[in-house]
Amino acid sequence: MSKSKFIFTTLMLLLVLAVLAICDLCFGSTNLFSLESSNPMFSSILYDIRLPKTLTSIIAGSGLALCGLLMQSLFRNPLAGPYVLGVSSGSSLFVAIATMMISSIHVSGFFIMGKSIVTLFSIMGAFFVTLIILLVSRKNKSNVTVLLVGLMLGQILSAFQGLIEYMSNADNLKTFVMWGMGSVGSTTLQDLYFVIPIYAITIVASFFFIKPLNAILLNEQYAQNLGVNVNALRLSVIILSAILVGVITAFCGPIAFVGISVPIASRLFFKTSHHLHQMTFCLLLGACVVLTADVICQVLSSQFMLPINTVTTLIGSPVVIYLLFKSKLSIG
Amino acid sequence: MIDIKHLEIGYQNKRQHNSVFKDINLTLNAGDLVGLMGDNGVGKSTFLKTITGNLAPLSGEIHINNKSISHYTAQHLAQLLSIVVTEKIGGFNLTAWDVVATGRTPYINIFGKLTTEDESIVTKALEQLNLLPLKDKLIDELSDGQRQKVMIAKSLAQQTPIIVLDEPTAFLDHTSKHHLFATLKQLCVEQGKLIIVSSHDLELMKTYINKSVMMAENNSISIK
Repeated sequence: MSKSKFIFTTLMLLLVLAVLAICDLCFGSTNLFSLESSNPMFSSILYDIRLPKTLTSIIAGSGLALCGLLMQSLFRNPLAGPYVLGVSSGSSLFVAIATMMISSIHVSGFFIMGKSIVTLFSIMGAFFVTLIILLVSRKNKSNVTVLLVGLMLGQILSAFQGLIEYMSNADNLKTFVMWGMGSVGSTTLQDLYFVIPIYAITIVASFFFIKPLNAILLNEQYAQNLGVNVNALRLSVIILSAILVGVITAFCGPIAFVGISVPIASRLFFKTSHHLHQMTFCLLLGACVVLTADVICQVLSSQFMLPINTVTTLIGSPVVIYLLFKSKLSIG
Repeated sequence: MIDIKHLEIGYQNKRQHNSVFKDINLTLNAGDLVGLMGDNGVGKSTFLKTITGNLAPLSGEIHINNKSISHYTAQHLAQLLSIVVTEKIGGFNLTAWDVVATGRTPYINIFGKLTTEDESIVTKALEQLNLLPLKDKLIDELSDGQRQKVMIAKSLAQQTPIIVLDEPTAFLDHTSKHHLFATLKQLCVEQGKLIIVSSHDLELMKTYINKSVMMAENNSISIK
């Protein structure tokens, strides 16, 4: 992809993102246009509710899409992603453990210390599953096996999660089930002061792996021969992915299909393999997808919160099905 | 260029020490087109992985330009030695240009940006193997022979004095095999590269190579 085309596409995506962000700020149960800007309700709704939700959508979408891209490149498997490989399930289980077993912590409205612990647990869960998947992928080179192990692992972890939910009281159970449906609306501006630095550091750090990620698309042996420290790359990608998935899952719940479908869509739309281009496009496209999903949620159900997972699955599933019929992307 | 002394190759982990071949002594020089021969499972691929630094030797020494291979950094080794392996690559929108451009990895900045000089080196590598008309084609759309040539062009773009090819003729028809070996011979003669090729096509190899290394099951190695 030429430099001018890359800049043009990036600017177009930024424009779409800006439009979607404005739509997301405007749509909701209260019509902002009906309020005077001097009205305290206006600034309260805009800054305390809508702005955190819009920023969370951007962070969740871009972060999960980038994670998906990193995993797909590392495993050289276009079907890899945090949700499919069970990484989100790992996060969810560990969040369940943190929220249900530690009685002082509740998912909604918990104090900053509790939130930090839940986030840490979420990162640990993501790291744990990614590490297992990576070990399996090293033992067995078949992409199908790796995916199946990821799916099975996700099921096992979900079963454990179900067990913990079964043993918990009704209030905790309801809170956790709501969290599990995924939501970008429960994050506050105070939460974002905690999330944004972590998000920014991991995103910036990811861009330092462009060169080795380009090389590993050939295969590990070629990458090693091209001077790439493959073990260091693997560990770095696992840590970055685990932090991103862990933080996003802790605050938004497990959001489905963004991680797998956005990198695939990005490859289908923008015919490039270079990670500078793909990372940029995935970040912007991922943010656009979750913002669109949130706008759809608001339009369809302004009086109550429609689970964002419902919409992301409706957008994401057709993309995955399309992939299965698109042989050029198949390397399994 | 490559000096191998008392080399023992194989696989080792905490529990096992699986020796595949012992006491290999070999000297390979610039401009040599070396044919590596032997039956399946005798250790040709293990040998190639070991001398390219992908696999640690069990014992013995490998020197490139009078310096032990273990003393080279990965970056420096990548500027000395390039490989072409049997495993097929593909997917991820990889075009012939993209694959050949990865050959510049040891030389470019952390963000993978090619300079004008890098781009001209990639173009030249594609030209040398008559691949320029295919540069924007997806690697999945190319024939096996064309893919193999793309991987060799990647090695040329890597600008290494040593190229190692493991079974490069595995997926090729008769004409493509001859064309491939003629190209390799030309690179040795014109650019003084040391090229090591493993193959089961003994008669074909004998037409082009100037040194043969035959590995036999009883740990014997004959060099001609």
